[in-house]
Amino acid sequence: MAITAPAMTEELGQTLAREQVSLWADAWRRLRRNRLALAAFLYLVLLAVVALVAIVYTPYPMAHQGVAVPYSPPSASHLLGGDAQGRDILSRLMIGAQISLIVGVGTQLVVLAVGLPLGLLAGYYRGWFDTVLSFLINVFYGIPDLLVALILVVLIGRSSLWVIIFAIAVTRWMDMARLVRGQTLSLREREFVEAARSTGARPSKIIFKHILPNALGPVIVQATFGVPQAILFEAFLSFLGLGVPPPTPSWGSMASDGIAAMRISPHIVLAPAIALSLTLMAFNFLGDGLRDALDPRQKR
Amino acid sequence: MFTKGSLFYIGQRTVLIVFTVLAVSSIVFLGIHRLPGNAFFSERLRGSQEAVLLHHYHLDEPLLVQYKTFIGNLLHGDLGESLIFRGVKIAPLVAREATVSAEVGVTALIFTVGLGILFGVLAAMRQNTWVDYLLSTTSVIGYSMPNFVIATFLLLVFGIYLDNLTNGAIFYEIGWSGTYGTPGQIWLPAIALGFPYASIVARLTRASMLEVIRQDYVRTARAKGLSERVVVLRHALRNALIPVVTILGPLVIGIITGSVVIENIFGIPGLGKEFVTSILSRDYNIVIGVFTMYAALVGLANLGVDLLYTVLDPRIRY
Amino acid sequence: MTEPVLQVKGLKTQFFTDDGVVQAVDDISFDLHAGETLGIVGESGCGKSVTALSILRLVQEPGRIVAGQILFRGDDLVTMPEEEVRHIRGKDIAMIFQDPLSSLNPVLRVGFQIAEAIEAHERIPGKVALGRAVQLLKQVRIPAAESRVRDYPHQFSGGMRQRAMIAMALANSPSILIADEPTTALDVTVQAQILELLRDLNEDLKTAIILITHNMGVVAGLCSRVIVMYAGRIVEHGPVERIFKNPQHPYTWSLLQSMPRLDSDRRKRLVSIEGLPPDLIAPPSGCRFNPRCQFKIGRCLHDDPPLMEVSPEQEAACWVTMDRALKKNGQAHA
Repeated sequence: MAITAPAMTEELGQTLAREQVSLWADAWRRLRRNRLALAAFLYLVLLAVVALVAIVYTPYPMAHQGVAVPYSPPSASHLLGGDAQGRDILSRLMIGAQISLIVGVGTQLVVLAVGLPLGLLAGYYRGWFDTVLSFLINVFYGIPDLLVALILVVLIGRSSLWVIIFAIAVTRWMDMARLVRGQTLSLREREFVEAARSTGARPSKIIFKHILPNALGPVIVQATFGVPQAILFEAFLSFLGLGVPPPTPSWGSMASDGIAAMRISPHIVLAPAIALSLTLMAFNFLGDGLRDALDPRQKR
Repeated sequence: MFTKGSLFYIGQRTVLIVFTVLAVSSIVFLGIHRLPGNAFFSERLRGSQEAVLLHHYHLDEPLLVQYKTFIGNLLHGDLGESLIFRGVKIAPLVAREATVSAEVGVTALIFTVGLGILFGVLAAMRQNTWVDYLLSTTSVIGYSMPNFVIATFLLLVFGIYLDNLTNGAIFYEIGWSGTYGTPGQIWLPAIALGFPYASIVARLTRASMLEVIRQDYVRTARAKGLSERVVVLRHALRNALIPVVTILGPLVIGIITGSVVIENIFGIPGLGKEFVTSILSRDYNIVIGVFTMYAALVGLANLGVDLLYTVLDPRIRY
Repeated sequence: MTEPVLQVKGLKTQFFTDDGVVQAVDDISFDLHAGETLGIVGESGCGKSVTALSILRLVQEPGRIVAGQILFRGDDLVTMPEEEVRHIRGKDIAMIFQDPLSSLNPVLRVGFQIAEAIEAHERIPGKVALGRAVQLLKQVRIPAAESRVRDYPHQFSGGMRQRAMIAMALANSPSILIADEPTTALDVTVQAQILELLRDLNEDLKTAIILITHNMGVVAGLCSRVIVMYAGRIVEHGPVERIFKNPQHPYTWSLLQSMPRLDSDRRKRLVSIEGLPPDLIAPPSGCRFNPRCQFKIGRCLHDDPPLMEVSPEQEAACWVTMDRALKKNGQAHA
């Protein structure tokens, strides 16, 4: 082992890097064994494929009314039947998948872009920045998210995917910020950070090379759980009529349309309801699996 | 529980709540009043009528003056008048609707917490048996489903299928007679509202119980010769519930949020329904009023949860 | 000699884990007489705590008693139904544990927890039980007992908590008190006080005490007899003075050697026992101590020595014994 201080830190960093690689490999092994999480992952891949396909092809144009008999049950020509306006439910469901995935993943990307740096900075530098951030986080926590999102949609005046993503991200960024801040706070006290600091490493290097990789585990888990939260949120918004404007179908708006016709044609509400439930469940099972796999306290 | 210290704490928190409500209210008020001018009235009015109405609602005054009037009224408990239903005072309307929402919300809460704790304890005591696995799976399903999906399934089963099956003997009809609902009407929306959270509570209780049951003081309790039932209920559960109380705050907020959707499905004349109706009909005064009421409810709920802590855990004193 | 109040015969307790079967307690036998103070000594993991838990049938899954008898006043505790064992717990045989902070329920008042021990076995009104709790606190020398009884555990100091646990254990005047490392979590001055308290209680109440510890010094302060355990077995036992003056098993000898003394030569290095504690899933063949023993002979590697008498009332499980080992090296005993 080289004797000079920077060299030793470098070695230590490499050893830890090796440990991290094996931590990820370890986690992957554990995840692979979790049947439920794997099934969930496969379902989500399938969903993504369907959403991608829907960009270029759906059995029928999703906005065309009258291509199917209104309220018609599933049949050979319309696999999921027709809705109240005679539109093909399957096609609309496919577009709905796009909406859900875009909103779900999109919000998490925004949340990461905002919460990650804020949390890292607040946790590492502490001081007034941390105090301000913590205060903001507490304020935002006290307000019911749906209500804020609804008001935002009203204030902005109109709704679109971007507006929705923005509204959801505004109400949920603090989960990520708080998590990252907590992780940073505890990681900065660990010995390898002290070692790095004692050899004069720049703060940016410490944050990016030492703290961030170690905080990544819980961050990934949080983001995975955040996606279904966002999808659920969007479903609520469109259920209430404040989501993406018609005729673009969201699973939520399809469900609210379907409830009115529940007596005569339950399939109109069941299709989006089941799609929503399965998708949310899949993300939750995957998140559970990831959390168990990345938990360093697991013995094998 | 009612020591001098805790009364002081309650007083402090109440002041904080008042400030928060004022702040939230102000933000919404100012935000809405920035909207383009005649968005306030949906009808096309003739010149003089419009001027009269604008004057009646103080909308012809400068913003700062309007704001001062608003805050002044607010501190007296006056939330103004509805824009669409002229002459209807908002404060009593919103207050009454809050009680309706509370009726359903509290029922949902009792269901959530009660059932959740029950199943959580059961799963923990029968760890790794079929009871446990059943609970773990249903709980994920439970909190994964949007509450309107649960409501849909419940309605399909109890409102349609069972009706057909039993020829009308078991039948749930969507409808709400009068202001407050009967138990026959409340139970379905309450279950739909609370089910996702019951699952979360069950999961958390189970995890918490499993940890607590390994603790040394549980071993001591057994070594004293106490019956297993006393050990579980008196020693283990009380400690296991502490983390559960932690999520009660967000849980109540979640129920408040969820009620917006549920009330709309079931036509319950509560705060949530009013909120959506007023947004869709652009009755901004009511929007402000409802939001103010929500802010107050959330503040009170959080305070309640914090006080509940002291009952459970004597190490926490304010 | 009177009938022993507790007889442990061939006790075997094992833990069935994913990695294998851990033989925590492997064929332990000993007697305890009324009013006697018995010490059980050994390093962490040697099975002494599990032995104590086995006596009260407190061993939890994945562990259980697989063989042996524990005779208390003639009845076998191993085969007794759970309900009957519950009647004995806290009443005839009581136990106190190592960490009094974690062993007391943090959300219940101390007085309540003591009264609870009484009410578990007697139907008396709560007020009466609480009154007795106050008396018990006084008996364990806690000042201001009347007001202290309404406090919570976190309001007590470490030593006071342990006294409170002792009070709780003695609430129903048990014939046997098992103390599992009662002083390990306390600092040295408090340790001495607790030991003194236990000694006085033993003299006044004639309660038999089983003291479990890894600290030989603690044993010397309180016990009349001592059992030395290693790898789930008893390797030596006998009267305390005899063992201290003339230990026969190399492990006992090493334990005593490794005790730092104020009067020892400061230039000499501290003695420690080489090697690691044994794997209880696959213990070494022959004598279990042989990998770490500096006096072993060929036979030790494949023949497991039984307990053999080395002097009146003293038995050791060793083919060599320290007498012979030291004579061989030309040393005499201290």
